[in-house]
Amino acid sequence: MGESNVADGEGERYIYSYDMTENEPRRPVAVVMPATVEEVQAIVRLANERRTPLVPFVTGQNVGGLTIPQVDGAVIVDLRRMNRILTVDEDAMYALIEPGVTFGHMKRYLGRHSPGLRYTYPLAPPFTSIVANALLQGLCDLSTRRGAMENFINGFEVVLPTGEIVRVGSGILGEDNWFGRYPLPDLVGLFSGWQGMTGIVTKMAVQLWPKQPYVRYAALFTTDEEQTVGLLRRIVRTQVLDDADCMSVSLVKMLLGAEPPVDIYPDEPQYATLLTVSGQNELEVEGKYQAVAQAVARERSRDRRVNLIDWDAITVLMGRDANSWVDFPSDAFKILAEYDGLTWVGTYVHPARWATALKRGREVVERYGFELMAFLKPMNGMHYGELKFIVRFPKDPETIERVRQCNSELLDVLLALGAIPYKTPVWAARRLLERCDSGFVQLLRRIREFLDPNGILNPGRYSL
Amino acid sequence: MTSVGAIERYLHNCIRCGTCKYLFRDYRPSCPSGEYFGFETYYASGRIGIARGIATGDLEWDETLLRPIFACTTCGSCEVQCLAPHRDHIVEMIEELRAQAVERLGALPHHRAFAEKIQSVHNPYGAAHHGRRIATKLDLPRTAPVVYFVGCTSMYRENEIRDATLHILSRLGVDFTVIDEYCCGSPLLRTGQAGLAVQVAAHNVREIANSGARVVVTSCAGCLRTLRDDYESLGLSTGVEVLHITEFLAEHLTREHLTRMDLTVTYHDPCHLGRHAGIYEAPRAALETIGVETMEMSRNRANAWCCGAGGGVKSVFPDFALWTARRRLEEASETGAEVLTSACPFCRRNLSDTADGYRLDVRDVVELVDRALR
Repeated sequence: MGESNVADGEGERYIYSYDMTENEPRRPVAVVMPATVEEVQAIVRLANERRTPLVPFVTGQNVGGLTIPQVDGAVIVDLRRMNRILTVDEDAMYALIEPGVTFGHMKRYLGRHSPGLRYTYPLAPPFTSIVANALLQGLCDLSTRRGAMENFINGFEVVLPTGEIVRVGSGILGEDNWFGRYPLPDLVGLFSGWQGMTGIVTKMAVQLWPKQPYVRYAALFTTDEEQTVGLLRRIVRTQVLDDADCMSVSLVKMLLGAEPPVDIYPDEPQYATLLTVSGQNELEVEGKYQAVAQAVARERSRDRRVNLIDWDAITVLMGRDANSWVDFPSDAFKILAEYDGLTWVGTYVHPARWATALKRGREVVERYGFELMAFLKPMNGMHYGELKFIVRFPKDPETIERVRQCNSELLDVLLALGAIPYKTPVWAARRLLERCDSGFVQLLRRIREFLDPNGILNPGRYSL
Repeated sequence: MTSVGAIERYLHNCIRCGTCKYLFRDYRPSCPSGEYFGFETYYASGRIGIARGIATGDLEWDETLLRPIFACTTCGSCEVQCLAPHRDHIVEMIEELRAQAVERLGALPHHRAFAEKIQSVHNPYGAAHHGRRIATKLDLPRTAPVVYFVGCTSMYRENEIRDATLHILSRLGVDFTVIDEYCCGSPLLRTGQAGLAVQVAAHNVREIANSGARVVVTSCAGCLRTLRDDYESLGLSTGVEVLHITEFLAEHLTREHLTRMDLTVTYHDPCHLGRHAGIYEAPRAALETIGVETMEMSRNRANAWCCGAGGGVKSVFPDFALWTARRRLEEASETGAEVLTSACPFCRRNLSDTADGYRLDVRDVVELVDRALR
């Protein structure tokens, strides 16, 4: 790699020791930046010889303490130099990318080279690693229709903790053959959701989709938790939506310029949802929109406070910003970048318990005196729901402690409802594993020991 | 001067979201330092993180911190891209951190060396002090309504800029003079050595006052920012209007003065003139007035890629400075222009130093204007 790609200065050790969340920092002994799979392989082999813990890292805006070493003596493997889009296969609609490729870079690339195809964006800055978000089973603006981002993985190349390079998915038959994962034993699951404990993915094939020429947006305003979740469930089950992104109305007010803490009045809508429909022509889009409008109208006949507002009207009210929010929501992210701390407890939850989870979680957040910044997304055609409570906070010791207590209580409430945390910090994983089926935990341990006999890759992660 | 307390004021505002790393909604790189060195510490968010660590006591001062703290051109592109509350103060925070570093660990050897030269001969190059020799040579008056503040790089290195500016002012019939100027203090302020900057600034303020001028014109983007903005932060005031030469030309240059030039040109926005002082159109207007065909680089104005020379980088990290300039020359070459022009002697120097192998003639705007006036 060369000396310039290895750092053990105090600055690097400090900056790589923490993330934006409240999770406890720990300093690595060094940071290395490989640029090729061979370099990754050499690092892993050397780490095995020396029994040096390795922690994969990509683009820097990390959450959940997921890149914070859990043991002393760890080396961070920063993969940002591996940032090439290697192929876009227009026929099978996938892109083969390295881990440093971000959502922003993918958008730019497709816009220039494959304008008929699209990828997605997450609720995050655009400079988030696609590979990391996919492996962490995160969500995006196609999750309402297609589920967590792992579903979009066609396969990948991975350096195992013992240094071998393997492939999973149809790419096992050749470089230009990354069309899917089936019919095969689905070994993606040996690496996805494992938070970098079972291998370092060095290239990944991710699905792309035809870019629909006609897209229409609308904002749905609803009142309480039961109504919000109930209506979302009904709308999503019409199967016309591309996406639904629901949030506390306080966030919308902040986007409009209201200074926090934002007051929400009793008769005001409590939640706002951005709905997206698309199609090949205006007629198709209009038909889909009307299906949504009918579902809303039925609810509105019971409660006049429910409103579906076409995005054109929102644009008139808010100006051009409104278009930028739906185009690629980096503008909207600014309301989350107020302090040096940001965290959440995020879960995927059974639809029948979604509203209860939202209501009880809200009570916890408000009891701790934090702003209510709830985000919800119907997932995978409404087979499950996503729910998270974001807390933005200044990282002073007193507030950090209060955040920890709040998140701890939130997690207990959500676990009790059968919700599964995602991008799970170690403390939350520990609590999940204490509650869950013991055979599952034993299998996790056996797989990990099999793949990483020396325990060098991200030891301590997921409380394993 | 760095405003005392910027780090403390914005201690709890950077989430390290990474928005500063890339051009907003364009997704191409914005930060030369981060792109060249790669580690998180070399982006604005990393430097703010270091400042935070020092301020909270989580991080002890250490020699290894100096590299990430000083390997930044302070180009300010991070400020344009950032969406957080501290966005307008990132360079200020970095300069404040540098001042702390100098106080605790001392200035970097190259920076200390040019500070010593400024102390002894009033310029960072160690050249014999010029004083007002030009005034004698050109028979300029002791007092005049306009002062041309030459700046050290034009005076001692990029003489073509100085000579072109003097010729332009003469041809336009401007009643001007020069003063016994010292270094404006910019190299000191960018490298955490504000103490000496106050001394040279005080001298320049006195000289400007003694000239009787109402307007100071400079052909140096760094001097402009320093005289116009930083002196006030140092508690000093020139008491006059400070203009970049291209702003001055906007009022005084008309097509009747000029011979039309058959030339294709692309303009590089100097960081000190553009992002730091908000002057984007005046140089372009001057180019339009002289009739050259201008072709914009894809990253321009507030999103312009830095030339790589600023912030004390060229002296301490020459390879980084030249790498950054090469990226700009590549972008300029893509336009197909014959001339890469800028409005800053430091940009001219660093871009020229890298121009071998590129079919581009690197010139300052004033050189082109001067050519059109001849």
